[in-house]
Amino acid sequence: MSDKLRITRAAQLETLAVFRDFIDAACQRRGIDSATCYDLKLAMDEACTNVITHGYAGMNPGSLILDLEFAPQQVVVTITDFGHPFEPYEPDAPDARAGLEDRDTGGFGLFFIYKTMDHVDYQTTEEGNRLILTKKLNWTVPA
Amino acid sequence: MDIKQEDRGTATVVSIVGSLDAMTSPQLTEFLNGQLAEGRANLIGDLAALEYTSSAGLRALLNATKEARQRGGDVRLAAVQPNVKKVFELSGFTSILKFYSDVPTAVASYKG
Repeated sequence: MSDKLRITRAAQLETLAVFRDFIDAACQRRGIDSATCYDLKLAMDEACTNVITHGYAGMNPGSLILDLEFAPQQVVVTITDFGHPFEPYEPDAPDARAGLEDRDTGGFGLFFIYKTMDHVDYQTTEEGNRLILTKKLNWTVPA
Repeated sequence: MDIKQEDRGTATVVSIVGSLDAMTSPQLTEFLNGQLAEGRANLIGDLAALEYTSSAGLRALLNATKEARQRGGDVRLAAVQPNVKKVFELSGFTSILKFYSDVPTAVASYKG
């Protein structure tokens, strides 16, 4: 058995806090630990920020749909948008030896998504662009 | 997100309350740039009540740290919550930034 939740909002930066609160409430009701919940919020936030700032660039902001699917061994976070498609890729790790002066302080969004999630999938369909983020749980969600 | 500022000797404590994301972090950047422009370069970020940051908040703090160091100061971070600390660890910046367990220890680090 899995349970599913959905929330739809406009693709604007105000939506980030609304979606994080939605994930928080869903995790709390299911007794999911705070570190796992934080990872889910962070990956969602980075992905949605990219869609809001780049995916809908030059277009009227459309909808952003957040789907959560809780299964016994994993949580699946799906973000659907209707902007320009953007296939995610896993970036290189930051250079730990470089000093602050030599480092680029940006570009961590995708890196954080891949670091916190176990699986990242992307689909472009007639029903929008879908980013599917899977986080494994190392325990069973209580029934 | 709320920001409070308090001078403590040669240091300035900036308390960041709530969440830092792409929506709220420009406010922090503006605030910290204002402090630096007024000559307050010994900054302390009191993160005891910062519940959440994304890469946008991280970037705001890193850019302010770069700017403060160029002016002979620093941004030192105090009382960082474990979930927020993890974001710094993931980025690999923990070896470059200075972390303190609480604000008084961070204030003391600017003395002598």
